[in-house]
Amino acid sequence: MKTANQPLLSLKGITKRFGALTAVNGVDLDVCPGEIVVIIGPSGSGKSTLLRSVNFLEEIDEGTILFEGDEIGYVRNKQGRRHLDAPAKICALRSEIGMVFQHFNLFPHMTVLGNVMEGPLTVQKKSTAAAREIALDMLAKVGLSEKRDVFPATLSGGQKQRVAIARALAMRPKLMLFDEPTSALDPELIGEVFDTIRSLGREGMTMIIVTHQMGFAKEMADRVIFMENGSFVAQGTPEDFFANQMEHDRIKSFLNRIL
Amino acid sequence: MKLLSGRISKTAILLFSCLLLLLVPVSYAKDYDQVFSDANEAMGNGDLPAAITILKKVQFEKGDDGGAFVRSRMQIARLQFALKDMPAASATAREVLAVYPDNSEALNFIASVKQEQKPRYVVFIEDCLRFLPQLLKGAVMTIALVVCIILISPLGGLLIALGRISAFKPVSGLCWFFIWLFRGTPLLLQLFFIYYGLPSLGITFKPFTAAILGLGLNYSAYLGEIIRGGIQSIEHGQMEAAKAIGMTYWQAMRRVIIPQTYKRLMPPIGNEFIALIKDTALVSTIAMVELMRSADQMFNAYFNVTALILAALIYLLFTTIFTFIFEKIEIRAGIYENR
Repeated sequence: MKTANQPLLSLKGITKRFGALTAVNGVDLDVCPGEIVVIIGPSGSGKSTLLRSVNFLEEIDEGTILFEGDEIGYVRNKQGRRHLDAPAKICALRSEIGMVFQHFNLFPHMTVLGNVMEGPLTVQKKSTAAAREIALDMLAKVGLSEKRDVFPATLSGGQKQRVAIARALAMRPKLMLFDEPTSALDPELIGEVFDTIRSLGREGMTMIIVTHQMGFAKEMADRVIFMENGSFVAQGTPEDFFANQMEHDRIKSFLNRIL
Repeated sequence: MKLLSGRISKTAILLFSCLLLLLVPVSYAKDYDQVFSDANEAMGNGDLPAAITILKKVQFEKGDDGGAFVRSRMQIARLQFALKDMPAASATAREVLAVYPDNSEALNFIASVKQEQKPRYVVFIEDCLRFLPQLLKGAVMTIALVVCIILISPLGGLLIALGRISAFKPVSGLCWFFIWLFRGTPLLLQLFFIYYGLPSLGITFKPFTAAILGLGLNYSAYLGEIIRGGIQSIEHGQMEAAKAIGMTYWQAMRRVIIPQTYKRLMPPIGNEFIALIKDTALVSTIAMVELMRSADQMFNAYFNVTALILAALIYLLFTTIFTFIFEKIEIRAGIYENR
């Protein structure tokens, strides 16, 4: 059932446990096309786990994930036990959802261009020339065309993260997930990464961003969500969130610690 | 009595052998018996030049059987040899040859004088030239073995490593067992089992096949563990990043994880291959004629340590070349880490 106004991504009752610990506890979330959702919250609140669940890097214990209206990623076997779908299907889903990691995770043995080409080349089986063209486009988009032939080891943290963004974009994803993209960066390098994310937002990219940068949340987000102990405690537009939800004791103390 | 200390024992042996000769009943012309006993006495006093002078009294006479003459001249030659007067020693031996050109004692003596006159390094080089053709033949076989194992064992090792980290229990269990078995028993025993043991089960291999099989299995087991360590040393985020752009597990392994292990694997694998060069010596026990076996054959045939020294030098040459090659590959493999 696809409708014009349906959410791009819809999470229903997502629960993920690590042994006795419940990292994500029955979370519901709808993300509309073009929407920028920023999730904040203390360490260990389940933000990253939730984000990784969307990309199947974590296998959830309960809940359903709908992408463009279709339930994805999990099937039930004859005994009725749910498990992750066939690897080929999971890979196909992942290629539609880009992910950027806190520690960049660039492939150190490939040049910058090689990193960005890798997805189109290996996953989408595009020709070298086609993959190269896409990669050059994406590097231009993140402003690193001149770095295309160097190895990642020579880049600054901010440049590395921009290459990682270009690598994810090269797959033409419909949704981008950012897992604390600036947490491993020196403060003076944070700006360039946010500039890149900001320009993506202007182009209408749908994004879920986990971050500790409140300024960025305020400026960029369509919606800010505060997560703690595996649940959403509060959410709202940035104006609403930072003006009204601040009364929330937990949020207040968290923000006071951060700001 | 001025003898060089190093020569004392040799002189003693000479004297002793001369004494023994005197004890043998002989039928020389009667008047020479006195000469020999005088010479013997002089030798007993340690006066070798005097003994030589006395022995020279014996002359060759036509119609004589020449026994006394040959005996006296050879004794003189030996005494001159003991006195390190090599030209005189061989000249004396030639006196015998002048009368009896085929006298093997004299011929051998002249040969050993020649050998003694040569500088040590000349002797060594001559030995080298004598042993080298056979040793090189053996060395070619050693290299053939090493090259085969270098081609086989990394592939075997990779398969075992991937099997070991497989989530599929029967596969990882099987690989664990393989490593346990081949790492836990002596290579020599494995070679014996394959070459001498399996025929009793009706499986017979040629020596070369058995050697390749034994070394290949053993080295695959070792490399398997090294490669597994290499794969698992790659940061987990690399696999996640590869998966996040849609790669399958095998694509990620092939394109992202395994290429990053090359540099890290070079030092331990280089180590293994240097050990391999030396371990090929073990296949000499299963009827393979390689460098070690050739050296052993030469050593046993000539009882000449030069054969072993030469083999050691060839092994050292091989290991040196390998060390050098692996250092180069390591640098090449890690080029992306150089800023």
